[in-house]
Amino acid sequence: MDQSKQSRDDKCNDPYLRCAFNGAAQTALGVSRSALLAHSPQGCEYLVNNAFAWQECDYMETMTLCTKLCVDEIVHGGEDLLMRTIREAKDLKIDALFVLSACGPEIVGDDIVAVCEDMQPEVDFKLIPIQSPGFKGSQYDGIDIALDTMIKRLANDDGEKIPNSVCLIAPHANANPTWMADLEWVKQVLSEMGVKVVATLSHKTPLSDIENVPSAEASLILSHDAGQRAADYLSAKYGIEQVCKGMPLPIGMTNTQRWLNALGERFDAQKKAEKMVEEGERMVTATCRRKWPMARFFYRTPAAIVADATVGIPLVRFVTEEMEMTPELVALYSSRSSVRDMLEGELKELGLKPNVVYGTDVYKTRRGLMDVRPKIVFGSTIERHASEGLGVPYTVEVVRPMRQFRLINRAYFGYTGILNLFECVQNEWVLRWRSKDKRYEAKW
Amino acid sequence: MDDDSIVFHGTLSQLLAKVESGEMIPKLQASHAPMCKFFTAYYVINGIRHVVPLVHGPTGCPLYMSDIVRTRECCEERGVPLEPTACTTLDESNVIYGGEGKLLEAVKEADKKYHPDLIVILSCCCSGIIGDDVESIAREAEEQVNCRVLALRSEGFGGDFRSGYEDAFKLIMELMEPPKKKVKGTVNILGARWGPTLTEFNEDMEEVKRLLGEMGVTINAVIAGGCTVDEIKRAREVELNASWCYDWGQKLGDIMQERFGIPYSKTGQPYGLRATKEWMLGIARPMGLEDKALEVIERETEQVQPYLDYLHEALNGKTAIIEISEFPGPIRALSLARMVEEFGAHPVVINVHPYTIKERMPSIKFLLETGVNPEIILTKGLFRLGSFRSSKETEDELEAIVRKYEDPIFFGNSARYPPCPVVNLTLLNPAFQPQYGFRGIKNIAALVRQALEYKDLPRSKLLRGMLYGPK
Repeated sequence: MDQSKQSRDDKCNDPYLRCAFNGAAQTALGVSRSALLAHSPQGCEYLVNNAFAWQECDYMETMTLCTKLCVDEIVHGGEDLLMRTIREAKDLKIDALFVLSACGPEIVGDDIVAVCEDMQPEVDFKLIPIQSPGFKGSQYDGIDIALDTMIKRLANDDGEKIPNSVCLIAPHANANPTWMADLEWVKQVLSEMGVKVVATLSHKTPLSDIENVPSAEASLILSHDAGQRAADYLSAKYGIEQVCKGMPLPIGMTNTQRWLNALGERFDAQKKAEKMVEEGERMVTATCRRKWPMARFFYRTPAAIVADATVGIPLVRFVTEEMEMTPELVALYSSRSSVRDMLEGELKELGLKPNVVYGTDVYKTRRGLMDVRPKIVFGSTIERHASEGLGVPYTVEVVRPMRQFRLINRAYFGYTGILNLFECVQNEWVLRWRSKDKRYEAKW
Repeated sequence: MDDDSIVFHGTLSQLLAKVESGEMIPKLQASHAPMCKFFTAYYVINGIRHVVPLVHGPTGCPLYMSDIVRTRECCEERGVPLEPTACTTLDESNVIYGGEGKLLEAVKEADKKYHPDLIVILSCCCSGIIGDDVESIAREAEEQVNCRVLALRSEGFGGDFRSGYEDAFKLIMELMEPPKKKVKGTVNILGARWGPTLTEFNEDMEEVKRLLGEMGVTINAVIAGGCTVDEIKRAREVELNASWCYDWGQKLGDIMQERFGIPYSKTGQPYGLRATKEWMLGIARPMGLEDKALEVIERETEQVQPYLDYLHEALNGKTAIIEISEFPGPIRALSLARMVEEFGAHPVVINVHPYTIKERMPSIKFLLETGVNPEIILTKGLFRLGSFRSSKETEDELEAIVRKYEDPIFFGNSARYPPCPVVNLTLLNPAFQPQYGFRGIKNIAALVRQALEYKDLPRSKLLRGMLYGPK
């Protein structure tokens, strides 16, 4: 964990992020034709269910199991119970069973790695133990733990590299509730540039793709919150070079342009990248000309951004450049040094001096909003309610948790992403101006 | 249906005997995981206004609950303010060296930040195993802050679903002060939960309040369904405790009766006329309000007479297949069984999970004593691997069961597709109608009418396919 001093000093948090166990479950459930066995008391199963939904797993296809540890197993150990539960699952038609250990069994010393090794001959699928107790850190630490385990246990290196290929890392470490659309946009862009995606770590990823990871030429992290550890390992072990490193993700015109150009340069597709930028910017401008988004009325409106780093950092530039607002509070869930460096770089380049809170929790967010009194907040449902009584007229819900779940996955990345974000602002604008008072009664 | 699909077929009392002997508890460790002790304890504590539930553990434990509270049940649906769900965010170093110092500071910080009326420290797996002495920290902290501080041992592994809410209710009793006086005509409603959040069906609570109001009874506190610390402090001043959900409130009612001598009206849920009468008279008699209650019952019965007549006519001679597998749970299913019997139908309750019977043993025994002993069928699908979710297997089994009965009608979840009329008793009923009391009779009659009159309308292939895959 790389928490800021400010975060460490707080003893009482009202956190936004879940624990490492949840992050590991999110990652494991991104592997297709697998099941997940939580070696935990039954309450942790709810965190697994949450991860299940985050990966949009189909419950007709993906199974989640639990050892349901009780006092006896905490006192005497739960390894026998884990073995029994694996035996119960032996007829499942899956390629892998991920065994995740939670706080309890890790503290009492259950050796899930040894149990999986012992049980492996009894089952037809791969047993992959992931030691991911909640106390290991936030959900982002859990994602890193799971990626580390999966790559180290599954990757097969035959030395052959696939030309123009890439491995995508941690697309699910993104607070956009419909992050799958961001991933799709990235894949579309890479395909147009002639770049092959060797593996996505992880979303609907077959086991064979993970085995094949070493054949990638490059890695591309789709999050500012998790995945760097995996990229560093891939670089050191297999010489997989990381592209777009230290660059804000493609939200907004400038970020998208920079990001596409960097990819174009790496994969020798500069012309294609330039064309994408030109066409994308033209499409956005033409659409805005026809639709007249209300965002233009927000000129120099004081804004607050409360989000994960993945969405929050690029949003700073988008809000400043495209919407012409003035970010006066930027509160990020995480506080890794890479996150700090990136945000500080962006603020310096843009000439902004907002209040910045790293590793924010609900209390710090509310305090920040009280200090700044912005007119518009980009955040979640939490900020909508935290803003109550503070005179904040607009809360644009762009990150989880959200009031209304979107059935259609919408990207924030890329050019359509710009329009999607405009639309969020537009809807909030309209709702604000919808009168709740009847000015007169109808005659009939 | 293949009889091999049926794991149990008998009466509730026979099932109870098998569960008590351990015969019916599923051997599969990987099947059906209900809430852990921490969750149910949290539900109760969160039902007190301006409380900080301070979770002494990593961030995973509080977040599921706080997400629900913030995104669905609390702020959005009930319009209550955003309340904190604080956490000490235990990390590896705390697990090794202990987290007591951090906890003490966290309590002080929580007091300073949120100015609550009460802080309840909830221990979870980590803090429980490493042996942090949460009670001592609570005592020590209380001397340094401006509110009461209590500690609750609620480790997820430390007990079952039931133990969480029972222990939480017992803890709440520490707040109850010796009565300065007895306030005539007042009651506490026991066993509600998710206070500032959802109290099961809010509308049922409104009906309960209305009926008590008609009888001239005032509610002191709904424990713990949005009550204040002051209301809990005054809880011993009431004449009587009344149950909201007999299962959740039962232990608290019994202990308050035993320890403080406050009588507890033990009745089932007020579904249908007979149970509603019992519920009202159970409160009115000990309070000397029987005449008033009978007057209200007579007046209200007269108003709903057409609906009662309709329910008799519509349900008489039918087999009512009852399955409440969503939130409202098995106690509601058994209350419904009692109600349909009153209207002349034969109740068959399907797939009440044996875990549920085990965890609700005292309530089930009480219901049996009151004569609730319906036919029960448990199918194989109930014991399958994995989470307890809608499954194709249990849907197929339900359809097969329904085909075996003449003139069946299904009471339950609209996500089921049996070949018979379906009475939509899903938790989030779109009309927000109470099912309790006299208004409940009207609403259930309307739901039965809709089910029978439109039984031939086609069901959504799309939604069915979504839930159970292609036919």
